[in-house]
Amino acid sequence: MTIPFDLIIQIFVIICAIAAITVRDLLSAVMILGAYSFFMCLMWAQMGAVDVAFTEASVSAGIGTILFIAALMKTTRRTKD
Amino acid sequence: MLEFIIGKYNFWIYIILMMIGFYAMISKNNLIKKIIGMNIFQTAIILFYVSIAYKKGGATLPILTDADAHGEHIITIAQYINPLPHVLMLTAIVVMVATLGVALAIAIMLYRKYHTLEEDEIIKALK
Amino acid sequence: MKFLSLIVTIITGAFLIYGTFDMPEWGDPNSPASRHVSPRYIEKTEIETATPNMVTSVLADYRGYDTLGETTVIFTAGASCILLLRRRKKKG
Repeated sequence: MTIPFDLIIQIFVIICAIAAITVRDLLSAVMILGAYSFFMCLMWAQMGAVDVAFTEASVSAGIGTILFIAALMKTTRRTKD
Repeated sequence: MLEFIIGKYNFWIYIILMMIGFYAMISKNNLIKKIIGMNIFQTAIILFYVSIAYKKGGATLPILTDADAHGEHIITIAQYINPLPHVLMLTAIVVMVATLGVALAIAIMLYRKYHTLEEDEIIKALK
Repeated sequence: MKFLSLIVTIITGAFLIYGTFDMPEWGDPNSPASRHVSPRYIEKTEIETATPNMVTSVLADYRGYDTLGETTVIFTAGASCILLLRRRKKKG
């Protein structure tokens, strides 16, 4: 039995999502969110939505991460949960 | 039964992702964690819409091949993936980043005023 | 409090999973979403807009007003970010 390719990416995406909301450092959480966005982009490219995948890789994984890091530089990276 | 699970398990994975984001939005105490949860929730909904457009059985990208583009024969509809949800979700991704920017601006403003990002400390300072 | 929100999350997820039982199978070519509007876009895109990429032709040609509204949303978000993050001058 062969494991389908999309199932592997879906498992990675769920692991990244759970790690992003449980890690106790905000900068690490934002970096894991960037990895989540790239796995999501890979999944959309595998489904045939190449335009959506390009937009996600440039806008959400690029500009979104930069916005998050800029906000963390103006505030703090410590958190209690 | 097995056929039913194979036909539907993708939707269940999308719902699990959506619920991870929802749990982070209503249960976490830190404002940035809430914004991360909102991002995950929106991405899961966009993923659900993109998956509606997918067609099994050899359908290709929604770009016309050379033979179809020059009108040599009739276009078969089952050969191309449905392009309409892709267009709507392109708009949704851009709106997602716009809401992310406004949410982070509000979080920075709250930090300037109360010097913390935790929700319960902000509520305590408000009283 | 965390326990309560976990229960709310599980109940919502159970309702959504119950909702998927009536949906068409994943990737079904004859699902209602693929039969209603999009066949016309696939058939007529080369004749009416001379663009082989259907996503581009629908985004910029058939639904151009949608993209105009999206630009308005981005402008509003940028203007509100500038208004929120502006340094106010201290009075006096």
